[in-house]
Amino acid sequence: MLSLQRNTLITMLLTALLGLSACGTQVERVDVDETHDLSGAWNDTDSRLVSEEMINDMLARPWRQDYTSRYRKQPTVIVGTVRNLSHEHINVNTFVNDIERAMINSGKVTFVASSQERDEIRDERKDQDLHAREDTRKAMGQELGADFMLKGSINTIIDMEGTTQLRYYQVDLNLISLRDNRITWVGQKKIKKLVKNSKLRY
Amino acid sequence: MRKAHFSLAGLPIWIGTAWLLLQLGGCATYSKGFAPIEAKLAAQDPTAALQILEKQRPSRSELLLYLLDKAMLQRMQQDFTASNQSLEQAKQVIQTYSAASVSEESAAFIINDTTRTYTGTPLEQVMLHVYAALNYLELGNHDAARVEALQVEVRLRQLMQDSPESALSVDPFARYLSGMIFEDLGEYSDAMIAYRNAYKAYQAHDKIYSLTVPDYLKHDMLRMARKVGLNNEYARLRKQFGISLQNKHNPHQLEGEVVLLFHNGLAPIKREHSVATIDPGSGRLIRVSLPYYQNRQQLVTTARVEVNDLSVQTQQVEAIDEIAEQTLQAYLPAITARAVARAVLKYNMSKEASKQNDVAGLLVNIVGVLTERADTRSWLSLPANIQMARLQLPAGTYALSIELLDSLEQVQHTTKLAEVKVNPGKRRYISYHYVPRYTMRK
Repeated sequence: MLSLQRNTLITMLLTALLGLSACGTQVERVDVDETHDLSGAWNDTDSRLVSEEMINDMLARPWRQDYTSRYRKQPTVIVGTVRNLSHEHINVNTFVNDIERAMINSGKVTFVASSQERDEIRDERKDQDLHAREDTRKAMGQELGADFMLKGSINTIIDMEGTTQLRYYQVDLNLISLRDNRITWVGQKKIKKLVKNSKLRY
Repeated sequence: MRKAHFSLAGLPIWIGTAWLLLQLGGCATYSKGFAPIEAKLAAQDPTAALQILEKQRPSRSELLLYLLDKAMLQRMQQDFTASNQSLEQAKQVIQTYSAASVSEESAAFIINDTTRTYTGTPLEQVMLHVYAALNYLELGNHDAARVEALQVEVRLRQLMQDSPESALSVDPFARYLSGMIFEDLGEYSDAMIAYRNAYKAYQAHDKIYSLTVPDYLKHDMLRMARKVGLNNEYARLRKQFGISLQNKHNPHQLEGEVVLLFHNGLAPIKREHSVATIDPGSGRLIRVSLPYYQNRQQLVTTARVEVNDLSVQTQQVEAIDEIAEQTLQAYLPAITARAVARAVLKYNMSKEASKQNDVAGLLVNIVGVLTERADTRSWLSLPANIQMARLQLPAGTYALSIELLDSLEQVQHTTKLAEVKVNPGKRRYISYHYVPRYTMRK
């Protein structure tokens, strides 16, 4: 009888201790290229894969060749707005940054700063006009005008049954010629995810 | 020898008792802890209310309510960005804990329902998205408000799957607000669909408690029907509603519009009702506790928004108090069944314990009765109802004031609102929260 009670006590204590060991914060470093799907929402991997694939596609298409052979220079591109029309609060900025990086690093297009960034730079030039030494002063009116604007949207369709969700993401990007509003390239990338939420937890 | 026997046989009981007593830490019902916050809100001081709230250290089971209250108080302070951060955290809590927990369910079966992690009623989950959307609209971020409109759509679809017959699976104002967001973004066919759904939802809710379809919605439906070229529907609706649009062209072209949402009072509060009786055979105490809504007497029934010589009366767009009451009524059979099953279990536990030892049996009985608490948790900072007033104004800056009226149309309270800038062809959304001093009934 006595030993039985002791055993029960010891078991209970051990269980309590085991429960306690899960309290500490665990940190594990992971490579940025590694894919970790946690909630099924749009994440860094989606943003990176979509931007890289779409920009590679864009740069491989004939519009660039046409432009380069006609004007004997690289096309200049600017990123306009990418609208988030999805079910999630997607951080569009990181996606736009990923697009910009993929484009600039390709070395195949010239890239100019977006409208918000330009304002800050113009302020700086104005400031230089007043305060900077003459040989280092940058003149106004020398900006490089863009030839094309990249615009787009992120859309989602969600289908569900019980605790299972099918999430379908569609990213559309259009490259529009600023000279004549011609759409010179249309890119589309789709991602499909099946998210199964558990009905039970501990 | 007798003494030794007592301590050994009683050991599991004592441990069990101690454990149960530990659980009693949260003995007072949840809704009672809201009184100091409510007092500050009645003094129209959300900042002080938020300070009181932030001193609380919510347990996991009440984390959602803490975040929802925090978000509501933050938006009362006009801190919409922080409010949305709290609401995003609240969404995470719902996502993480909506799966039923084995350990919590078994504890709920032995102790009481409050051991479960609170994940909100359907109404609260829908209102979470509605307030997030309103926060974004007041920040002027329509794209983000659109995300909330889509999320509420997913939520409502889930509710529809779970109980397709229930009128509570369709939320009128969530649909209506979605329509307004789509219309603001120029997505007119989506707006029309949302308005139609809203109209159906208002009718469905009218069947279970009296509610009128807001006139604003009727006008919106007419305008959208014409805009997307649904001529037959336009003619039918015009006949059905008996109204016609004033000017033929887009009324937003030269004027802007102020959409004022008046968040009136506080939602009803859940209280505990217990029935205790003594089993004549064994002399054991049996107690069953159930929650009920204590409806608050709403002093303010409507409001009048005034600017220059224009005066517009608000229309009710969401009756949160009625929906909350209906929700509890729908859940009460299940809550009662659980409470009764629990009473039986506690009775048997006490009987088993008394086979070992009379004192232990008595103790288990007492602890069982003491731990029997009703689940009185709910989002207490929700208003009792939401009312809307819309003012067409030429572009410019305006100082609006709002008069709160009681049921006899007597002015109870007047407030000057912050100045609003109206841009041509745009809607400006502003909110006004008012919490009266309710007389406390025990």
